[in-house]
Amino acid sequence: MALSLTVNGDRLASTADPATPLVDILREELHLTGAKPVCREGFCGACMVLIDGKPTPSCLTPAALADGCEIQTVEGLATHGQLNRIQAALDASDAVQCGMCFPGMVVSLTHLLTTRPDATREDIRAALTGNICRCTGYERIIDATLLALATK
Amino acid sequence: MITGSSVQSTPAEAHNAASSIYVAPSLASALDALSECGAAGAVFAGGTWIMRSPIRHEPLRARYVAIGRIAELGAVRIGTDVVEIGAAVTHAALAAALADLPEFDVLAAAAGRSANPAIRAMATIGGNLATPGFAAADCVPALLCLEAEIEVAGRDGRERMKLEHFLKIRSTLAPDRLVTQVVVPRSERKTAHARLPLRKAGDYPVAIVSLSVSVDAAGQVQAARIAVGSVEPVARRWERLETALIGRSLDAEEAARTAAELADEFVGRDGIDAPAWYRVSVLPGLVRRAAATALGA
Amino acid sequence: MSDVSATMDLRRRDAADKLRGRTRYTADRYLPGMLHAAVLRASVPSGRIVRLDTSRAARMPGVRAIVTDADAPGMMGIGIADHPLFARDLIHYDGEPLAAIAATTLAQAQAALAAIEVEIEPLPAALTMADALAPDAPLVHPNWRDYEVLFEGGAREGNVAWEATVVRGDVDAAFARPDVEIVESSFRVGRQNHVALEPRAVVASYEDGRFHIETSTQAPWGIRNATARLLGVPASQVRVTVPPVGGGFGLKFDLGVEPFAALLARASGRPVRLVNSREEEMLTCLFRENADIRIRSAVTREGEIVGREAVVLMDCGAYGGEQIFLTTMTAHTLGGNYRLGSVRLVSRAVYTNTTPNGAFRCCNGVYNTFALERHTDEIAARIGMDPLLFRRRNVLGDKDLGATGQVFQADVLGPMLDRMDTLRDAATMPPGRSDGRLYGRATTVGTWFVFVGPSAATVNMNADGTATLVTSGVEIGSGSMMQALPQIVASTLGIAPESVIVRAADTDAAGYDVGVGGGRTTVSLGAASLSAAQEVRTKLLKVASDMIEAAPEDLVMREGRIEIAGAPGSGRTVTEVATRAQALGGPISGTGAFTGAGVPAMPGCVAGHFIDAIDIPVFAVHDCEVAVDPETGHVEVLNYRVVQDVGRALNPRAIHGQIQGGVVQGLGYALHEEATIGSNGRVCQTGFETYRVPLALDVVPVEISLYEGAPSMGPLGTKGAGEVPILNVGAAVACAVANATGKRVQELPLTPPRVLELLLDRKRDLDLPHIAETWSDNLVRPHKTPQGNA
Repeated sequence: MALSLTVNGDRLASTADPATPLVDILREELHLTGAKPVCREGFCGACMVLIDGKPTPSCLTPAALADGCEIQTVEGLATHGQLNRIQAALDASDAVQCGMCFPGMVVSLTHLLTTRPDATREDIRAALTGNICRCTGYERIIDATLLALATK
Repeated sequence: MITGSSVQSTPAEAHNAASSIYVAPSLASALDALSECGAAGAVFAGGTWIMRSPIRHEPLRARYVAIGRIAELGAVRIGTDVVEIGAAVTHAALAAALADLPEFDVLAAAAGRSANPAIRAMATIGGNLATPGFAAADCVPALLCLEAEIEVAGRDGRERMKLEHFLKIRSTLAPDRLVTQVVVPRSERKTAHARLPLRKAGDYPVAIVSLSVSVDAAGQVQAARIAVGSVEPVARRWERLETALIGRSLDAEEAARTAAELADEFVGRDGIDAPAWYRVSVLPGLVRRAAATALGA
Repeated sequence: MSDVSATMDLRRRDAADKLRGRTRYTADRYLPGMLHAAVLRASVPSGRIVRLDTSRAARMPGVRAIVTDADAPGMMGIGIADHPLFARDLIHYDGEPLAAIAATTLAQAQAALAAIEVEIEPLPAALTMADALAPDAPLVHPNWRDYEVLFEGGAREGNVAWEATVVRGDVDAAFARPDVEIVESSFRVGRQNHVALEPRAVVASYEDGRFHIETSTQAPWGIRNATARLLGVPASQVRVTVPPVGGGFGLKFDLGVEPFAALLARASGRPVRLVNSREEEMLTCLFRENADIRIRSAVTREGEIVGREAVVLMDCGAYGGEQIFLTTMTAHTLGGNYRLGSVRLVSRAVYTNTTPNGAFRCCNGVYNTFALERHTDEIAARIGMDPLLFRRRNVLGDKDLGATGQVFQADVLGPMLDRMDTLRDAATMPPGRSDGRLYGRATTVGTWFVFVGPSAATVNMNADGTATLVTSGVEIGSGSMMQALPQIVASTLGIAPESVIVRAADTDAAGYDVGVGGGRTTVSLGAASLSAAQEVRTKLLKVASDMIEAAPEDLVMREGRIEIAGAPGSGRTVTEVATRAQALGGPISGTGAFTGAGVPAMPGCVAGHFIDAIDIPVFAVHDCEVAVDPETGHVEVLNYRVVQDVGRALNPRAIHGQIQGGVVQGLGYALHEEATIGSNGRVCQTGFETYRVPLALDVVPVEISLYEGAPSMGPLGTKGAGEVPILNVGAAVACAVANATGKRVQELPLTPPRVLELLLDRKRDLDLPHIAETWSDNLVRPHKTPQGNA
C-alpha cells in the first residue's frame, strides 16, 4: 500500500516499508538530504523536521505515521530562496561551521521563534537540549536566536 | 529500508522482514488488531523506544498497532477525585495539562523534564510504563508516589490494577492487552520530583526520587509516599523512609539524614552511565532536594 | 606585498546553503546506479581466522561484489607499515574488518554480511597498556619484527610500537641536588571520540582504469597514497575529491572507509557508497588515545625547575597509526611551557587489542597539558608558592631553551599571563555562594605548535576580474578555506574576497598537501596561496604598468583597481588588466609552495622523533572557575577565559567562533565524555545515550582575548588558531576542581561519579605499576647522545 506524504507542499507517494524511518524516505527516495541521520535515536536533533508544524525527529517517525501528514523539511523553510528569520540571523552571526547540525537547529529554532516570542537565553538553551552541535559551542547559535527574536 | 548497521558478524536481524504498522482509528479496532496479531504483534505508541530497536540490535516485531490517533487514549481528564491520563498522552501534553495543579508537581516535572523537548512531544505515558527495559523512566516513580492505577484492556473488557502490580506483570502481559489509561487520585499533598542526569539535562537520570507528602495543620507528615527510580532495574517505593517521616514535621535536612541511614537497602544497578554505588550514594541528596522543593511549593 | 589589509570579518560563503539544507556532504551523495556497501567486522578482540567463506553471501539477493583481504595485499602505517585493510590471518581488535559487500540496497548488503561464514579461534588479548607491558603479555603483533619500517629512528620491541626519547642536561645530577624538592605526580586519561556529525563516508567509482574517491576527509593526498598502498596500485591511479566535510577534528586525517568502497567499485563496475553507522563510528573511531603519565620534578625552594623526567604511555590500540608520530609531541607539550634546567622524557606508543586510536585536535597536547599543569600546581603547593607566581617565574620567554634545546623567540607567555590578569580583574564578581557547593578557580598555560609541512597553491587570474584559488585544502567547518584563504588572495590582488573562487580539493587538480589539521591551513596553505597570488600580482602590475604608463612599483591594487599610488580612481580595473594580459600573452596564473623551515634542536637531544623542534609555537592561557556539588559530584563551569596567541588574526570573529567551539569540546573531554573498553575488548559507549557530549545547557560563553604580535613564519604573521582552543581546557578544569575540593585530581574526565569518588575518599591514589620506578628502566633502548648522558 502506497503512503501519501505531503513534503514542503508537494504531495508524494512512497512504497516504502511502513516501519521505515521517515528520514530514510526523505533522503533516499526524495533526495531531500537536509535532514541528517546522525544518531538515529532522538538525541542529536539533526534529522528534525516539522510534522504538522511540530519539530519531530524523523529518525523515530515511521513512514506509516507520517502518512497523510504535512511535512516540512529544512529545504522548505527558505521560501522563494529567501532565508527565513533564524536562517538569516545565523548567517549574519557567522554561526555556521561544519553545518551538519544546522538543518536540525534551523527546524527547532524556526518553531521556537513562532511559539516562544519571549524566550530568554536560558529558554533557548533548554529548547536546544535535543540538538547537538559539535563545532560551535552553541553560544553563537543562541546569540543568533536572540537576534532573530529581536528582529520581528 | 532501515539503515541501522552493525559491528557484529550477525548484523541483519533487524532488516530481514518488513514490519507492518496498523494505525488504529479507535480503541475497539486496536484491540481487535492486537488480538488478531497474537504474539507477532505489539503496541506502537510514541515509537521512541521501538524505533530504536535496530540500535539495540533487537528485531522489530512483524506487526504493530499504532494507538497515537485514538482520541480516547490521547486525553487528560481532570475530575474532582481523579485525573485520568490516556495511555497515548505525550510527556509534553501531560506536563502542560498538569501545569496548574500543584498536587501533581511531581508528575508535571517528571513529564516536563525527561529526555529532550522533541522526545517529550513524541514519547507517551503508556510507553513509559510498558517498557520493562527502560529503568530510567521518569514517570514511573512519579506515578508510584501518586498511587496511580493502571487500566489494561482487552477485547474481553478492562481491568484496573495498582501500578506496583502492573510493574510486576508488565513483561508477561499477553500481547493482546493494551494499557489504556493511568488513573491518579487527587488529594491535598505536596509533591516533588528530583532527578539527576549527568549533564544539566538531555540524558536519562541516573537516579530519581519522587515524593508526595500530606501534611496536617500542625505541619506534621500524615502520609508520605516516596519512590526511587533508575537506581534499581525497576522503580519502587521506599517504604522504610516513608514510615520514618510520618508523624514528624518535614525537614529537608533531616529527611536526607534519615535517607542516608536507610539507603543501604538499595542494591543499585551498574550501568555504562553510572556505577551502582553512585546511584545509591546520591539518594540522600535527592531526598533533600525533593523535600525542599515540596516544602517550597 | 599588498595594499589593503587581509584582516576582515568576511562571512562564510557556504553558510546559506548549509542553513537551507542544500549542502551535499559525502554522506548525502547519490550517483546513478550506485550500490550500497557494508563491512563485516570481527567480534572478538584477538583471534586467528580459521575460515572465512563468502560463497553463500555471494549468492544472496542484490549482492554485486564481495572483497576480502585477498583484494588488498598492502600494509599501511605511520613510521611502521603494520596495518592491513582487512584482518590478515590474525584479528587484532574487536571491530576489525573481515570483508566488505556491495549490494543494490543497504539492507541487502547487511543481510549478506550475515551469510558470510566465519570461524575464529580466540587468542589471549591484551586490552590495557598494563596488560600489554606485563612480562608475559601476549604479543598484539607476534611478527612485529618483520614489518616494513617507513621512518627510521624509533626504538621498538614487542608491544611497544614506538618509543621516542628526549634527554637534555644531567637530570640525575639535578635530582641529587641537596636543595631541591622532588615532586612526583601520576595521571591517567581516557579516550575521546570526535563525534563528527557526518560519519566517515565515501562514494567511490572506477573509471578509465583509475579510482575516483569522493570522501569526507581532511587529507585527500593522505587518502590517495594510503589507499594505493593498501590496494597495491600506483598512487597515480587514485583520484580523491572532497565535498564539504561535516566535522573532522582529526578523525578524518587518517584513512577511514575509502579503500573498501574503492575495491567494491572496481569489482562491481558500479559506484559504491559506504557510510559508517553511528555505532561503527563509536566503536571504531580513531579515538584520542588514552594515556598513563608519570612526571617527576626537582624544584628549588625558590621555584626553579632544575630537573624533570617523565614517562608517557600512549595506547595506540591494535595498530600504531598516529600515536607513533605523536610520541614526538610529548617533548613539546609535557616538555613545554616552562624553562627546565635538565629534562628527560620517554613516550611510548603501546599496542593493545583494542580499536586503533588516531588524531584528535591538539593530539597528545590536551592530556600532557592536563598532567603538566596539575603537576605544576602540586609543585607550587609543595614549595608553598602561589601557583600563578610559580608559572610567571618559569614560563618560556625570549631565548629560553625548549625541551629539545630549540631556542624560543620573544616573551609571549609572560605578557599573556598579564593579559589574563587584566581580564580576570575586570570581571564582575559572581553572586553569593551560600549554596553549599565548593568553588575553585585556576589559570593554566599550554604550548602547542603549527604542524607546518608541504602545501601547494595555484591562483588563476580570470579575465572577468575574479581569481580561482586551486589547492588540496578541505573545508571541514573551521572556515579557513572560506575566510582566511580568500582573504589572503583578495588582499594581495586588491579584489573583493567574494571575487576569489575557492576550488574544492581534487588531487588531480592541485599539488600535494599534508592535509587540513594541526592548525596548518591558514599557515601552510595560506603561505602557498599568498605566494601564488603574489606571482599573479607581479604579472598583473607589469601589464598594468604598460597600460597606465607608470612604473609597477608606483602602482597599488585596491578595490578592484590598479592605480597610481595616492591617486584614487586613476589607472584601470583589474578586469581590464586581466583581459588585456590574457589577450597579450595568455591567461595569468601563479603558483606557490610552502613547507616548514626546520628550526634546529640541540644535537643528540632527541631519538625516535619525527620532528626535532617546533617551527611555529602557539601558546594559550586559560582560566576558569568551577562549582562542585559535594552531594553528586557535578562540576559546573561558571566562567571561562582564554588568552590565545594567534600571531595575527585575519578574521577575529571567525577565530572567536573556533575558540568557543574548541573550549566546549574541551569541556566535554574534561567533564562528560567517557569512552571505556569492556572486558570483551569492545568500547562500551555505542551511541549518544551513553557517550555524552556537551549540550547547550552545559556551556558558558567564553571570554576571549586574542594575543597578536608574537613572531611567526606564517603568512602575514599568522599562526593556526582553530586547533589550539581545546589545548588546556582539561588542565584548567582539573586544576580548578582540585582547588575547589582540595583533592588530588589525577584522572579525566571528571564525571560526577569520578568526582564523588574523590570527595568521598573512595578512590585510592593512582597506581601505575607498568611504569618502572627508574626512568631508564622504561626504555627498550637506551637513549644515545653524543654526551652519553643517558
